[in-house]
Amino acid sequence: MNKGLLIEGSTFVLGDDVNTDINCSNKYLPGKDVAYVAQHAFEQLSPGIASRIAHHGGGILVAGEHFGINSSREQATHVLRQMKVRAIVAQSFGRQFFRNAINNGLPVFECDTSAIDEGQSLELDLARGVLCCQGRVLQKSHPLPSEILAILSMGGLIPFLQKYPDWNFA
Amino acid sequence: MGLTIVEKILAQHSGRERVQAGEVVVAEVDYAMVTDTRAVNTIKMIDRFGDQPLQFAKKTSLVLDHYSPPPNQEAADIHSEMRKFAAKRGTGLYDIGDGICHQVLPEGGHLTCGDLVVGTDTHSVTYGAFNAFGTGIEGTDVSAVMMSSKLWFRVPQTVRIDLQGVLAPGVWAKDITLAMLGKFGAEGLNYHAIEYVGDAVRAMAIDDRMTLCNHAAELGAKAAILEADEKTFAWLAAHGARTPRPIFADTDAHYAERFTIDVANLAPQLARKHEVDDIVGVDQIEKQKIQFALIGTCTNGRLDDIRQAASILKGRKLAPGVRMIVTPASRQIYLAALREGLIEILTSAGASFESAGCGTCVGITNRLVPGDGDTVISTANRNFKGRLTNKNADIWLGSAATVAASALTGYITDPRLVEGGTWRSAA
Repeated sequence: MNKGLLIEGSTFVLGDDVNTDINCSNKYLPGKDVAYVAQHAFEQLSPGIASRIAHHGGGILVAGEHFGINSSREQATHVLRQMKVRAIVAQSFGRQFFRNAINNGLPVFECDTSAIDEGQSLELDLARGVLCCQGRVLQKSHPLPSEILAILSMGGLIPFLQKYPDWNFA
Repeated sequence: MGLTIVEKILAQHSGRERVQAGEVVVAEVDYAMVTDTRAVNTIKMIDRFGDQPLQFAKKTSLVLDHYSPPPNQEAADIHSEMRKFAAKRGTGLYDIGDGICHQVLPEGGHLTCGDLVVGTDTHSVTYGAFNAFGTGIEGTDVSAVMMSSKLWFRVPQTVRIDLQGVLAPGVWAKDITLAMLGKFGAEGLNYHAIEYVGDAVRAMAIDDRMTLCNHAAELGAKAAILEADEKTFAWLAAHGARTPRPIFADTDAHYAERFTIDVANLAPQLARKHEVDDIVGVDQIEKQKIQFALIGTCTNGRLDDIRQAASILKGRKLAPGVRMIVTPASRQIYLAALREGLIEILTSAGASFESAGCGTCVGITNRLVPGDGDTVISTANRNFKGRLTNKNADIWLGSAATVAASALTGYITDPRLVEGGTWRSAA
């Protein structure tokens, strides 16, 4: 059950109002596939970020308000996984992005991110709702509800439904 | 403590006495809608599950509206796949020209008061006009609904907006929603449900109520919902909807915030180019030339919108150099406009009609492409730079009355200052 609910990694920081349609999908790159978009995602907001995350073998994105604002493209979550983003920590999320992330098994965590800098080490315990930065507890948030934790630990909503077609997992 | 409308609907659909804002519930869905922009992934995910009977199919409609009519072979192939899937699995299907999802769902009698309805489009909040919880979801979500009839929802906080006073002639729900965008900002009510109440809402015809809820998507709202009244019941009965189960908020319901806004003196509003929340009163705009005018989209492509335009343009001509397109939101609206003689009035004035669909709202079908330096005034809900493919054109947003008045003069114009600009629907 706890598989995938403990996450560690280095931080890669973006700002407020990150629009994933523009920065992390092929909406404006017609015909380009996920692999291509993953190499260029967020380039305008943080030059070289994709290659830096790749160089670290993955990481955690940290953002301000409304990450994924205005964005409904589910593809953004596929791009983020391709980039080896293990989780996103933000002040708040655009509502459809929040759904898409969970439905595709990409952990999202809402908390005050103002004290987190680029290149710090984060530990995220989703089941307990605890975020540690550089080894000290930065934030305790309401843990995600058990339904969401179950969906995340199984890698997304479709794998979850394959196992529990009636949603009856308790 | 009591519950808001949305809390009650989510509680009822998840078999609970009550729910609280912030918690996640797994709720039974009453109806689902899939547009052609999300159909391919949805069909793939469902087919991967196998061929077992799809119980929810009879509560699902596939709508071929965004690529309508298909601009290229890829889109045409998507439509073929949707038709095959609908026939094989037993879902409903609205084909090209039938209309925009948010119009054909209510018109088809697929939803009623108290329902929980989901659709693969942000503007699914429109169904709140009928006292239903309508919300936009994505392909994975809708696949889950079609396979299990359920979906997870985080219960939103509700804000209550009391719209006091009655709109003056020439001022419409569109002007209220633009004023709300000016007040709260784009995505300013992210995650929230909005309950709109008050005299102004009660006075509105159903067409205008749909505009009010539709445009809440730009506020980031998860739902925008109205109380049901006799107008709601009459409209639903006329369209063959199931028996309404109207839901009212408790008097001691908890709201994240309450706002009281007097709309009696509201002037027609505009969103200036590129930003849905750069809002200004039409009376503050001087000599802003326009070259293109659009009446249509899921926000303002309904019969009352076309009637407003006809009232202003009857027996007149568009200003020299102005092009105008009218896209009815559905085939039923197109036919009603035809019967009322509105198509003749507007076509004689110089406007062109497009078949019902989303094509003129966003650069998918390229049925409305402005030239470099053109200014478009549109009844759509979004005006991002390049939305109509040309980044060197500007898009402004306003009511159908403001768009028609502007097409008449060639400048952004207060509809209250032109003959016919204060037409009011009988409702």
